[in-house]
Amino acid sequence: MNEQQEAVFERLLEQVQKPARYTGGEMNTDVKPWEEAEVRFAFGFPDTYDIAMSHLGIKILYHIINRLPWGLCERVFTPWPDMGDGMRREGLPLFSLESRHPVRDFDIVGFTLQYEMSYTNILEMLDLAGIPAYARDRGEDDPLIVAGGPCAYNPEPLAPFVDAYMIGDGEDVMIQLCSAVREHKKAGTSKEALLKALAGIHGVYVPRFYDVSYHADGTIAAMTPNDACAPEKVERCVVTDLNGADYPETIPVPYTDVVFDRIVLEIMRGCTRGCRFCQAGMIYRPVRERSLERLIEIADRLEASTGYEEISLSSLSTGDYSCLPELIQSLMDRYQEKRVSISLPSMRIDNIVKQSLEMTQRVKKSGLTLAPEAGTQRLRDVINKGVTEDDLIRSVTDAFECGWSTVKLYFMMGLPTETDDDLRGIGDLAAKVTQAYYRTPKEKRGKGLRVTCSASVFVPKPFTPFQWAAQDTLDMVEEKQQRLREYLKIKNVVFNWHEGHLSFLEACISRGDRRIGDVIYTAWKKGCRFDGWNEHFRFDLWMEAFRECGLDPAFYAYRERPYDEINPWDIIDAGVTKEYLIRECEKAKAEKTTQDCRKGCNGCGLQRWKGVCACYENARHV
Amino acid sequence: MKMLVTFEKAFRLRMIGHLDLMRAMQRALRRSDLPIRYSQGFNPHILLTFAAPLSLGHTGLREVMEVPVEGECNPDFFKARLQRALPPEIQLVSVRAVDDTHKSPMALLYAARYRADLEEVPDALRTALPAFLAQGEITAVKKTKTGEKTVDLKPMIHECSLNGNAMYLTLDLREESSCKPELLLRTLSDFAGVPLPRFTCTRLMLFAMRDLALIPLEDA
Ligand code: SF4
Repeated sequence: MNEQQEAVFERLLEQVQKPARYTGGEMNTDVKPWEEAEVRFAFGFPDTYDIAMSHLGIKILYHIINRLPWGLCERVFTPWPDMGDGMRREGLPLFSLESRHPVRDFDIVGFTLQYEMSYTNILEMLDLAGIPAYARDRGEDDPLIVAGGPCAYNPEPLAPFVDAYMIGDGEDVMIQLCSAVREHKKAGTSKEALLKALAGIHGVYVPRFYDVSYHADGTIAAMTPNDACAPEKVERCVVTDLNGADYPETIPVPYTDVVFDRIVLEIMRGCTRGCRFCQAGMIYRPVRERSLERLIEIADRLEASTGYEEISLSSLSTGDYSCLPELIQSLMDRYQEKRVSISLPSMRIDNIVKQSLEMTQRVKKSGLTLAPEAGTQRLRDVINKGVTEDDLIRSVTDAFECGWSTVKLYFMMGLPTETDDDLRGIGDLAAKVTQAYYRTPKEKRGKGLRVTCSASVFVPKPFTPFQWAAQDTLDMVEEKQQRLREYLKIKNVVFNWHEGHLSFLEACISRGDRRIGDVIYTAWKKGCRFDGWNEHFRFDLWMEAFRECGLDPAFYAYRERPYDEINPWDIIDAGVTKEYLIRECEKAKAEKTTQDCRKGCNGCGLQRWKGVCACYENARHV
Repeated sequence: MKMLVTFEKAFRLRMIGHLDLMRAMQRALRRSDLPIRYSQGFNPHILLTFAAPLSLGHTGLREVMEVPVEGECNPDFFKARLQRALPPEIQLVSVRAVDDTHKSPMALLYAARYRADLEEVPDALRTALPAFLAQGEITAVKKTKTGEKTVDLKPMIHECSLNGNAMYLTLDLREESSCKPELLLRTLSDFAGVPLPRFTCTRLMLFAMRDLALIPLEDA
């Protein structure tokens, strides 16, 4: 930013909500010298500061790039509409938080794709930065636009805008990508040559080297490489040894409130449960644990460098971590004096260790969150949620006995094969939870029972056994919500539900093809941004965008797809094979469960890759 | 023992609110590994008091806070240790050790000196200043929680001078008598019949009163 821009910026700060989102200068964000860096990476998170700074992945990659002697990474987030409009009005370009350099001056601008409804924010950011959205409109001097994260497993909806995707664990491929850019800058080669080099990196997908053709009915006829540099399929990256993997020793400490303002310890990656609706459970396989020693080492360094008052353990199923009680105990002993509390966010209900509950609540008592997902055993078998009603009741009883009195239950509606019985089952389960509370002796349980039931709308996701499923129509969703409201009229039970419109769009985009890119662009042009925020979500504009692009959202969301249809994401090899997903889908229809693959390999496809999955039993060192 | 810490809050942090700054200080103290004291109770927090919250949007050159510590602590050691745990935007100016019985800076606070940098100074405002100050009573309307209240600013003003586009103000800052620079500038603009110019404000210093003279708060 030049002096004049600084002045404009300072004036804008006085006019916007939460100005501290834009000012930077936080602890552990020391600016690396701009001139000395050979590769400058702007890390974009397409949401507000408060959301972005709660995310672990950005902190890991920020650290990894900044650790490169020749690399520099700075952060950039989506300005809230008041700021975004102000910047546009004043002609202030999007700039990085650290050194306040215009984003278009960076070599690489990378976006992490955490949820589909943040896609318009990417276009908003590119526009504010003065970078053409469509890759085809960008020249030699424009930054390279890259993306990664869970939503990148279906890269097609944003394919028109992104130059290169990194698929899978980012720790190693990020360094390779930055190195390639460094070489390219040194050699002064063309962007075309750089992209070809990138396409040769394991885990990198460069959309422009693939042609897509369609059948008359709109389904994909073929996706074929149009250049020798492009592989038939792009295999995702897997970091096999989490202990060896880089983990930040310092992380930025925000001044202002963010959603998760604490140290996050990723204790393991992946999940062996095989829930059939869960994309994370499929794409983060196999399970890899960090050792107790390594975690303590990380915790010590982060505690010393941040001064945070809370450490939270994070993974897809924290309760499955092999030495959870020991870990909690050691952390608590270590940080007692410094008054650091330990929290466990996502807990699984079938193996919550009562001991862990007792230990953590001694320091801090937060509500208990459980996710049975479905109301009946039949439907839980269909989705392979290996949880029984007994498990659930035992867990909440344990929690009540430890003095808890707030329980949150998460359900999904619209799951494949769902009937009215399953919806009634949600009500029954909630009622049984309240009964478990009243059965708990008065002197043990906490005061003021509160059971919150949330029901989200099922969204079929790529690389899950339900990737072929049809989503419930909006009318069906509304009608089911009505019924659920009736079934959940229970004392001390609160029912939360979400509008179906957002889930509908999410379904369209998450399984969308390249043509959806134009819809996203059109929607953004019409003013859509921050779609995930109720106050900014404009469903009507999205529907207009679909119409103008000549596409039918129902084609993407409501259609049950045949197994032999080519999916847009088939270009990616996520590890799990189609055969496995079909097998699981058929078992779901037959209401048959599949065992946790810790008890024995289910042949999900990962076994094809040498040294990636140790098929657990062999690798387990208890 | 208590530490009287004087620090600078840089321009870049002017939009960081009082509570956020306090939390940042607490975290810095935790990082520093100094023998800080915690409150009792279920949610223990670090004991620490700021002499006066800095308004949002203001920079502070010599802000004062009080940090109780366990046992004895060398002020130089404390300063070096804490500085290392702070981001570059928060610089320590001085650290002084005092007894637990020492009156808190909050209680000793009497006035503060500011520099308001005005984007532009209308001629009418410049010429009106002497007459404004010469009034027997400077009436201003102060917004309070319960409504509006008319106050006389005259006894609260210790200094009010214009140097180029910078206005230097020393104003009362006590519970029973206080005037913010915004209030003074607004009243002055009204008097001169011009709209309030845009300005940024720096709090230069905090004062205590001793023997009818203002002395730096950190020395009191
Ligand atoms: S290869 Fe076998 S053990 Fe490994 S994740 Fe897949 S199913 Fe589980």
